[in-house]
Amino acid sequence: MSDTHQHDHDHDHEHDHSADASSASVPAPTLRDPRYWLSLEDWAKDPEFQKMAEKEFMSSPLQESDGEDGWARREFLKLMGASLAMASAGCIRRPVQKIVPYNKQPEEVTFTVPNLYTSTYFDGSEALGLLVSTREGRPLKIEGNPKHPLNKGATSVRAQAHILSLYDPERIKGPQRNLLNKAKTNRDTISAKWDDVDDATVKQLNKGGVVVLSGAINSPATRAVIGDFCQAFGAKHVTWEPLAHEEIRHGQKASYGEALVPFYRFDKAKVIVSIGADFLGTWMMPTTYTRQFSAGRKDIEKMNKLVVFDPHYSLTGANADVRIRIKPSQQISVVMGLAHEIVVKKGFGRFAGNASVKAALEPFAGVVSQLKMEPALFVKLAEDLIANKGKSLVVAGGLPTLTAQAQELQIAVNFLNSVLENDGETIESKNSLPGLTASYSEMADLIDSLNKGTVKTVIIHRTNPLYSLPPSFGFKDALKKADLVLYTGDRNDETGLQSDYLIPDHHPLENWGDAEIGRGLFSIHQPTIRPMYDTRSFELSLMTWGYLAKKGPKRLQEFETFYDYLRQFWKTDIQPKAGKGKSFDDFWDEALQDGVVGTQASGSSSRTFKTEALSSVKPVQSQGFELVLHPTVAMGDGSLANVAWLHELPDPVTKICWDNYVSVSIATAEALKLKEGMLLELTVNGVTKELPTHIQPGLHDDVLAVAVGYGRTQAGKVANGVGVNSYEMVGVKKGQAIYAGAFVEVKNTHKKYLLANPQGHHTMEGRQIVVEATLKEYLKNPSAGQHKHHIFSIWSGHAYNGHKWAMSVDLNSCTGCNACVVACQSENNIPVVGKKYVIQGREMYWIRVDRYYVGDPANAQAVFQPLMCQHCDNAPCESVCPVAATVHSDEGLNDMIYNRCVGTRYCANNCPYKVRRFNWFNFAKLIEKPMHLALNPDVTVRVRGVMEKCSFCVHRIKAGKTKANLEKRELVDGEIKTACQQVCPTDAIVFGDVNNPKSQVAQMFKDKRGYALLEEFHAAPNVRYQAKIRNNDQEGTAHDNKGSHS
Amino acid sequence: MVSLRASFAIVRNMSKIRIGNNTSFRLGFRVMLVMFAALTTLTLSSCDKFQPGIGYNRGYAPEQPIPFDHSLHVSQNKIQCQYCHNQVERSRDSNIPALSTCMNCHLTVKTDSPWIQKVRDAYDKKKSIEWVKVHMLPDHVQFNHSAHIARGVNCQTCHGPVETMQRIFQFSDLSMGWCVNCHRQPENKAPLNCSTCHN
Repeated sequence: MSDTHQHDHDHDHEHDHSADASSASVPAPTLRDPRYWLSLEDWAKDPEFQKMAEKEFMSSPLQESDGEDGWARREFLKLMGASLAMASAGCIRRPVQKIVPYNKQPEEVTFTVPNLYTSTYFDGSEALGLLVSTREGRPLKIEGNPKHPLNKGATSVRAQAHILSLYDPERIKGPQRNLLNKAKTNRDTISAKWDDVDDATVKQLNKGGVVVLSGAINSPATRAVIGDFCQAFGAKHVTWEPLAHEEIRHGQKASYGEALVPFYRFDKAKVIVSIGADFLGTWMMPTTYTRQFSAGRKDIEKMNKLVVFDPHYSLTGANADVRIRIKPSQQISVVMGLAHEIVVKKGFGRFAGNASVKAALEPFAGVVSQLKMEPALFVKLAEDLIANKGKSLVVAGGLPTLTAQAQELQIAVNFLNSVLENDGETIESKNSLPGLTASYSEMADLIDSLNKGTVKTVIIHRTNPLYSLPPSFGFKDALKKADLVLYTGDRNDETGLQSDYLIPDHHPLENWGDAEIGRGLFSIHQPTIRPMYDTRSFELSLMTWGYLAKKGPKRLQEFETFYDYLRQFWKTDIQPKAGKGKSFDDFWDEALQDGVVGTQASGSSSRTFKTEALSSVKPVQSQGFELVLHPTVAMGDGSLANVAWLHELPDPVTKICWDNYVSVSIATAEALKLKEGMLLELTVNGVTKELPTHIQPGLHDDVLAVAVGYGRTQAGKVANGVGVNSYEMVGVKKGQAIYAGAFVEVKNTHKKYLLANPQGHHTMEGRQIVVEATLKEYLKNPSAGQHKHHIFSIWSGHAYNGHKWAMSVDLNSCTGCNACVVACQSENNIPVVGKKYVIQGREMYWIRVDRYYVGDPANAQAVFQPLMCQHCDNAPCESVCPVAATVHSDEGLNDMIYNRCVGTRYCANNCPYKVRRFNWFNFAKLIEKPMHLALNPDVTVRVRGVMEKCSFCVHRIKAGKTKANLEKRELVDGEIKTACQQVCPTDAIVFGDVNNPKSQVAQMFKDKRGYALLEEFHAAPNVRYQAKIRNNDQEGTAHDNKGSHS
Repeated sequence: MVSLRASFAIVRNMSKIRIGNNTSFRLGFRVMLVMFAALTTLTLSSCDKFQPGIGYNRGYAPEQPIPFDHSLHVSQNKIQCQYCHNQVERSRDSNIPALSTCMNCHLTVKTDSPWIQKVRDAYDKKKSIEWVKVHMLPDHVQFNHSAHIARGVNCQTCHGPVETMQRIFQFSDLSMGWCVNCHRQPENKAPLNCSTCHN
């Protein structure tokens, strides 16, 4: 079946290739567009990949061995058929359902109409303003707050997915006590009462030696409570996060005298150089920075230029106009080499005549020869930076830059920014980020004190050091010396097991709070559900202990809830800064209504760079393989690892899910005789780990890159045993963690392992799928890179007189962050299928972000393309459905009717875009309570045996139309937003009515860069894409080698 | 219904018997035959006399925990539908009134009735009343009350002469044909897309 239609397509496609058109019996590999490829197997024309690509559907039900019972499924169906026929002969009343009305109707609840609450999400590094959509008292979906000045309605993958951690069935339901034996290993866990916990704690607190160990805290009120508590008990507050930004603070201190994390302005920068800082994916404030970055690319003629020196294949590297692969030990050379080029060779800037600067830069004179880049390109980059002085930005940071010389790298970067006069322009020091105080050195000091026995009580909050702190710090043994350990985590996890008491904090969605997002910008954190279990907020715990011990400032003791404390704190501390001149009640209501008050501090100016700091920056010697540990977009530091959405979400670049792995370059794989998935043994810092191999195009040959955040052992059913805990490979030097640059010994075990990689399940046979052009091409011809087809039809088509819904996707804006995928999953009740079924090609995503590699595999570039149902006017799926389960609406939607579908899967066979998904199992039935509370009641939960696909969020369209109808007005353009559009930090997705010529989508459809996928088949999709433009100073795309459509 | 569920359970259990095992398969088959016979008898004998068609429930009038009389409230006391079902203009679902709505009047009206006392008891104890759902649409149907009210459709058009009903019953069969029949009338200008109701 699939073979036949495959040939038809290829035949159509080859209309301009007379030589090949006749011999279409087997789609020869040479017919495929060689420029764009999905994976190395694809590029190398691997016969197995070819076979898989031709097969389209990776498994048939006949191969099904998944019935738990082993009874042949078909036999079972026959018998079931008989029994059903018998049964339906009688009359059947469905089971009796009950309606239980409210005792008292809450004023704000209208059934089926969501209430939106402003709130905040803080993941330890980035704070996002949220709108939490709740229905009848339960949060359903997390959306961005459009009034929020930084994320402006966008959210991140994890901010959306943390709703599942609220409904996680494995959360503990109340305080617990771990009975630790003498060796401080957990003997048993029993439930405890809050009163007993408080008694035991206060008794211990009075003995002194108290430390509050927490993750980064950007809530001013929480900081105040902790401060009051520390004052009451003489306690010390230590903040630590695995993904700390300590190197930046150290570097700032050495360079300018003050330790701070500045606010970067990517939107004001015309030339951006990143050295290992994955600011579009995982570093610091990715959603905010993605918004800023894409804002600088909307006006294409004046678009910014991104140059990335990438120690692993990061999302930022994948979006670079020019990407240069480096290894961690070259990071300092790159920055100092650029500085040498600019200051010494070109004689630019205020340090040009400075002899000590010259002496410091001299060792880096010839670094370009060590880099895998053309010297001319390096010189051009230096010239670009000079030409854009004050409008450029050089950043470095994140785990891949945490070598032993992390601080020196920061000094070099600060120097370059000072030379280029960026400090005060694109780097705002007055607007520093107050929450990012996490520090490894403080942690090392705490461990010292524990070992000395001066710390008797440790209260651990919102951090899990026994999982994510490298064991070489020796925290576990040190913690055993404490008399009392209290842990506020929501489960008995790695740290929980070593604690005497688990005193579960409320989930963030159950708790009041606030956040200081930037200097002077305050965000409110509202609860959206009453606490589900017998939990108590961390702040209230501290307040209770202060009250019981009768210690500490009055405000610590006097309030019964943290809400009261928070309100008082906002009255005395926040309002004077952000709400002068109005009554507190008005100010408070405004804060709740808007979610955010105040404005970011301005007036950052250029600071004086201390040139003596430069003398510590020396070239780095290296040999052999270098380790790069990096967080991933989905998993982050691994704290939300028990959320299945995050595991199933494919990595934006590698597309692998449900595992971490070691990425190696193609040449290294050849040298080590490695194949994809083969287990590689890594020995680093005396720790040996076995990880599956992923052969990564565009990686430096000496780099072995591994993601952190995996390998949890006590997080729960979803996370336990997935991947390898790579935090254990981290080294320590002078209290600092070394995440990158460590020498790795490798050994190929030749053992096989299967990685789940959904990319390649939906190959598009190399037609004109992604279109890109260089800026120079674009300026000559706005439609550059496109191959226009002559399209004709023998019939006139349908008229669409009312609305006609359509979507536009700008590939030049899309950074491939995958937020849309999770938004869609949350909105449309899309199930998680697990690693086994992802391998079989049964993932259920309605929208996916395809990543295509371009050009030379050793140094491949990447393009991202979000792909959802194209809602074709002449939809090929509709004509083949034998039961008319997929039909066209008079508003241009391709409707999918689950209750009519009998599961022939003809539609999926005939869909040229491969966006239809089949429910092989009753995935929804596997949803454990109370996880079902996260299901969206506006969208049908699908059963086994039916097809499903993107509906253009038709329930949102209906809700929007009904709302306009009830208010007796016309629909406003932009009023209806699809879930993917709403969350997009780059505004790449625009949805609307093309029949309204003033609508944004109608305007986008006129864009010269626009094209539709497979236009030549005349399926007439209602989704149009705009070509990607690469600002790389080249005339044609570097990889232009005349494919079939050029 | 119970019998049907049981039969499914048996079929499900049977699936655990390996088909390769001849004895157990035969045993299973016998169990099945017996089951089918029992099922047929049961379903035929338990048929509700109000049910004319297969699968539809026109005339379904289950006994409610409190014999609420619509005719008394609507015809005799002239209470508007929307006094109790007050969200019907704003919501997809029409709400069953909260107990507080009942108590608006029944704090003083007919307080000696044992049924009212039952409502009052529940109200005082912060409990609720479990009404039996009469009008049920399948889960894959998304019906919107507010949209219909906004178009000026009367409650009675679908729910029948509620003002005369002592015990509420299902007036229309609520089948898809019945829905579409109305949507098809040109004067109603109602959408006929599948996604109008199914998504």
